[in-house]
Amino acid sequence: MGKLTKWKGALAAAALGVAAMAGTGAAQAQDTIKVGVLHSLSGTMAISETTLKDVMLMLIEDQNKKGGVLGKKLEPVVVDPASDWPLFAEKARELISKEGVAVTFGCWTSVSRKSVLPVFEELNGMLFYPVQYEGEESSRNVFYTGAAPNQQAIPAVDYLLGAEGGEAKRIVLLGTDYVYPRTTNKILRSYLNAKGIADADIMENYTPFGHSDWQTIVAQVKEFASQGKKTAVVSTINGDANVPFYKELANQGIKAEDIPVVAFSVGEEELAGLDTGPLVGHLAAWNYFMSVDTPENAEFIKTWHAFIKDEKRVTNDPMEAHYIGFKMWVQAVEQAGTTDVDAVRQAMYGQKVKNLTGGTAVMNTNHHLSKPVLIGEILEDGQFEIVSATDDVVVGDAWSDFIPESAKLTADWTYPWVCGNCEKPRFAAQ
Amino acid sequence: MPACRRSGRFRFGFLMVLFTAMALLAPIAVQAAEDLESLVAELGAAPLPKKDEVVQRMIATGAPEVVTILEALVERDLYTRKSDEKVVIGRKASGGLMLLDPVTGEELGVVGSRDVSRVTTNNSLRSSVKASMGALTLMSPDPQRRLEAADGLLKSSDQTMLPLLEQALAKEQDAAVLNALQLAEASIKLQSESAEVRLSGVQALSDRTDPESRVMLSRLLLKDGDVWREPDENVRGAAEETLASMESRLRMWRTVEHLYQGISLGSVLLLAAMGLAITFGVMGVINMAHGEMVMLGAYTTFVIQEGFRSAAPELFGWSLAVALPAAFLVSALVGVAMERGCIRFLYGRPLETLLATWGISLILQQTVRSIFGPTNREVGSPEWMQGAMESVAGITLTYNRLYIILFSFCVLCAVLLVLKKTAFGLQMRAVTQNREMARAMGIPTGRVDAMTFGLGSGIAGIAGVALSQIDNVSPNLGQAYIVDSFMVVVFGGVGNLWGAFAGAMSLGVVNKLLEPWAGAVLGKILVLVAIILFIQKRPRGLFALRGRAVES
Amino acid sequence: MSLLQRLTAPQPQAPGKGRLASVILLTILAAIAILVPLLNLTQAPGSALHVPTYLVSLLGKYLCFAMLALSIDLIWGFCGILSLGHGAFFALGGYAMGMYLMRQIGDRGVYGNAELPDFMVFLNWKELPWYWYGFDLFPFAMVMALFVPGLLAFVFGWLAFRSRVSGVYLSIITQAMTYALMLAFFRNDMGFGGNNGLTDFKDLLGFDLQADTTRAALLAATCIALGGCYLLCRAIVASKLGRLIAAIRDDEPRVRFLGYRVENFKLFVFVLSAMIAGLAGALYVPQVGIINPGEFAPANSIEAVIWVAIGGRGTLYGAIAGGVLVNYAKTVLTGLIPEIWLFALGAMFIAVTLFFPKGLVGSLPGAIDWLKAKAGARSAATPTRPLAKEAGE
Repeated sequence: MGKLTKWKGALAAAALGVAAMAGTGAAQAQDTIKVGVLHSLSGTMAISETTLKDVMLMLIEDQNKKGGVLGKKLEPVVVDPASDWPLFAEKARELISKEGVAVTFGCWTSVSRKSVLPVFEELNGMLFYPVQYEGEESSRNVFYTGAAPNQQAIPAVDYLLGAEGGEAKRIVLLGTDYVYPRTTNKILRSYLNAKGIADADIMENYTPFGHSDWQTIVAQVKEFASQGKKTAVVSTINGDANVPFYKELANQGIKAEDIPVVAFSVGEEELAGLDTGPLVGHLAAWNYFMSVDTPENAEFIKTWHAFIKDEKRVTNDPMEAHYIGFKMWVQAVEQAGTTDVDAVRQAMYGQKVKNLTGGTAVMNTNHHLSKPVLIGEILEDGQFEIVSATDDVVVGDAWSDFIPESAKLTADWTYPWVCGNCEKPRFAAQ
Repeated sequence: MPACRRSGRFRFGFLMVLFTAMALLAPIAVQAAEDLESLVAELGAAPLPKKDEVVQRMIATGAPEVVTILEALVERDLYTRKSDEKVVIGRKASGGLMLLDPVTGEELGVVGSRDVSRVTTNNSLRSSVKASMGALTLMSPDPQRRLEAADGLLKSSDQTMLPLLEQALAKEQDAAVLNALQLAEASIKLQSESAEVRLSGVQALSDRTDPESRVMLSRLLLKDGDVWREPDENVRGAAEETLASMESRLRMWRTVEHLYQGISLGSVLLLAAMGLAITFGVMGVINMAHGEMVMLGAYTTFVIQEGFRSAAPELFGWSLAVALPAAFLVSALVGVAMERGCIRFLYGRPLETLLATWGISLILQQTVRSIFGPTNREVGSPEWMQGAMESVAGITLTYNRLYIILFSFCVLCAVLLVLKKTAFGLQMRAVTQNREMARAMGIPTGRVDAMTFGLGSGIAGIAGVALSQIDNVSPNLGQAYIVDSFMVVVFGGVGNLWGAFAGAMSLGVVNKLLEPWAGAVLGKILVLVAIILFIQKRPRGLFALRGRAVES
Repeated sequence: MSLLQRLTAPQPQAPGKGRLASVILLTILAAIAILVPLLNLTQAPGSALHVPTYLVSLLGKYLCFAMLALSIDLIWGFCGILSLGHGAFFALGGYAMGMYLMRQIGDRGVYGNAELPDFMVFLNWKELPWYWYGFDLFPFAMVMALFVPGLLAFVFGWLAFRSRVSGVYLSIITQAMTYALMLAFFRNDMGFGGNNGLTDFKDLLGFDLQADTTRAALLAATCIALGGCYLLCRAIVASKLGRLIAAIRDDEPRVRFLGYRVENFKLFVFVLSAMIAGLAGALYVPQVGIINPGEFAPANSIEAVIWVAIGGRGTLYGAIAGGVLVNYAKTVLTGLIPEIWLFALGAMFIAVTLFFPKGLVGSLPGAIDWLKAKAGARSAATPTRPLAKEAGE
């Protein structure tokens, strides 16, 4: 008899467990619109992503003060994917199926985006991805508000090769060994070749994440630069590895006037944790700098400082990307009159938002933005002095023209293409 | 464009020579001069590519105020006042910027930083202005100025400056400036019209191996299409020979440099691992929170430096000296708390200490993240730790690494002294060798345990101070070193500080010798595989302890 | 006896208790394998009995982790070898499955290359590297998912056990092994997709991976595999071999002096355990949709060891419970208290090590006994006290 009760008990416990887990899945009544925030708050990426979570909370709070969207308040749903890529996919699924969010703002690394991509496509969710990335992608369910390579890397190299940037003849491509630097450098190599710089004058080097001992590589760069031609470094070194890299650079006596380094992953936030003295004069290319003097930007910075309650906190490019993305989404929802993903997506195309740096950002049908490109020199106080800006906005290009396989692909999510990677339209044009 | 710049410089250089000769050319200068005031206004308004031309015209006026204005431009102290578009010099003052009239030097009052906008410069403009200014500051009493002037001359390689440069060379006492002047002289000679002078320029470089002289010589061997840049065959031959001999000398020095880099990496590993060698090696606690002790040390440095910045910025150079004992104390206290609160219940179950300390490490990381935020924190290097020793051989020994090498040796010696020469060290060794016996002899084992753990953690904290000088100060700092630290301790032999020393140094050097050949990642993989294989040969590490205690 | 003492007191391993736990465990697994897919597929989404799809893949993931924990318990709990590198075997199995899934994409990748996966196309690879051959065949990939981890474990174990590397030394070099593999797989030149790993899978054996039926089937397959592995481990542990292994754990030199080739037995268990981990990895990948070098991170392996410790070392079912429990806690906490969940997790680890050194499951019988004793003491309180008094007088 004892055995039997235990049996029953076990079964009951199992059933209860399953039921309890299932019960949490039921969606609650919809008197708010839920907005998912999918940024790592712990682990290696917390260093960059936590700020973006705060920006989202600020933007949502701000919008709610203005009365929300469609007469409903927005409700942020924050989860922590803990810099763990499979966990990103799990959390994305949780946000969409369990929480029923209307839209998600999130991810930083490419691998996290790749990890959640199938989930968003399967469940027809909507993701705003705010970080500069390698391109070569256009998903129906993702809006890319960061820079594509042609909105950051190519203008930066143009600057280095031009008279103002010192007419560099030798280029060092330093990067962390992952897909963004690899792809960017592949595009740049082919671009440099087209500009008449031979492969012998290009040095390419990859280091692991969080690489902290740069002695050898900086010495190699010095060596490479001592061949009589003006040399410049293009850095796609990721986050954590930058601090020791610049420290080593300064200590080995490399000055920006001799070998300028232009970086694509170093912004105000990264510099805030750094003694910037030795870095002065090195460059970065972004679509946004905190130092840009416009009323919109001043307002944004003021709101940010008030929200985070710290006057010392800086703003940076991915924050502006979230700002633009969020505003566009709000406008698109108002226009569509619903948060339904398909309707909002249609309303997104051509949606315009004023950039914080002046000019207007436009969402294109390839799900990438048109944005201006700025090049700045690092100043003593960790801010940037803008030394070059494109005359007009640059259209984000999902598929690079400098990679043969992707040059033939087109991303256009409107009729007759309706496709992220096609060589010809899916439907015959009328 | 280059032609235009050249002529401007020529004109200017010409003028300067006459100035120094005290010639009576002032009337001509005045005649040629444009109105400086309007030029300054033009400088402020001109777009970046046009600014250089304005600068040349300003120099051409020969007015003495030009030096101040250009210096302000290079130092980014030149602003446009928003109210009336006037170009002014701004100096930091309490409450904002003190504005000065660039021409008259008259004080125009203090304004907030939002009321002015900086006159933009970029690398190439500053570099060209510095080159042009070289002559103006060559005789300055400030060695730093003279050094900059020499660098400027090196870049401009203005032929007309040679006589002035030789004057300066004859007078110069400062070694660094002298070196820079010699380089500039060779550079000017290499640009000379006469092949003979160029040849003497090449010969002047023959004893050097620094990158600048190699750049100059390699430039002679470049071809523009089919035309040699250097038309004379003799000069080319000499340049090639000199370069070859430089290379052969360098080869040896490069090995020295790699060794230095290896030792410096090794000393970082040693610092990180030394604390672990005590907590893990001596006490047998698999301390997964060791990395967090290092992190706490780094954050203590940050807090101390913040204190210095706000209370006594002039004493900033001493901040690290204060941070060292503070970091030791903070980490040691946390360590003692950990030991008393948790680890002491787990002695004899070493593998379970792993689990508990892992939990502690998660909590410590998140605590720091909650208090200081997830972003990197700025820890500055005092003046004396910045820069590098540029040896004549052209290899660079950076000061921060040099000090870290010295520092790690000092810490090692200090710990060895504590272990071997103090009563506490004796008690500690007694307890680790035979706990029961030690207790029977009246040694308070519990207290010794806590102190030992505190010592190990405190050393980790000190390592954090050193690491804050070369790495990020973020909540993830510790995680980056924990695996390496365990490798060092196990490779060297658990329970032996000399083992940790030998392990750290050999791993550092091997890693750095492999890196140029195999790349950073592959080098590290090879080192790890080597460790795995080595442990097969010597299952108890490089310096295995012998005796009964080891077996248990 | 205090609760703490009772919990830490050695428990004679009663065969009956193990059997009961096995029955409970297998019943739960069977229930999940049958009920969850059934409720997921047949009930309408609005129904109270409906199991949402995200829960199906979540359960699948937990069970894969449980299987990894099982493999660690076999080697740690019964053979005394603490491997801090089991994540490597798990990831290798995962990569084998990932490579098969990658090859199944065919020309449906973004560049439409039938031969090469996307990441190879944009890294300018001209042809498929030799080690990718054969992975278009499912049976081959499955054999590899077991064989590669097994081979690595064999080589590693053969070297290590023969030269009598043991204790923390072994733990640390297993950590070195997984760390080295992580660095290697991060390299894009290795041909495994670098940091991004393998992702964007389409179908498995012709079934769409995003279909509910495929997910349900994968969950059922995971339940069956886990149950099978559990029975296998149980059988080994209960056999004569199992007793020998336990003897090695308790006193290795003595077993050696009795004439046994200790290293061979250890090697056998190590390889078997690695293969179970590999199988877990292979089942894990299609359910989470990505495999990348992060799985090799030493921290992941340490965490897996912690699951075992929390569940209860040396019980097999405890490891499974620990794997599921900790990961369930992680899922809940990262959503519920995203800012401070690490505090909760860390505190849980410390509390379990300090107060339940035998793990939650291992402490359960002790706790029950203690409760029973307490209840018994209360009901028997009235007669005993006078008796004691009597005896005292």
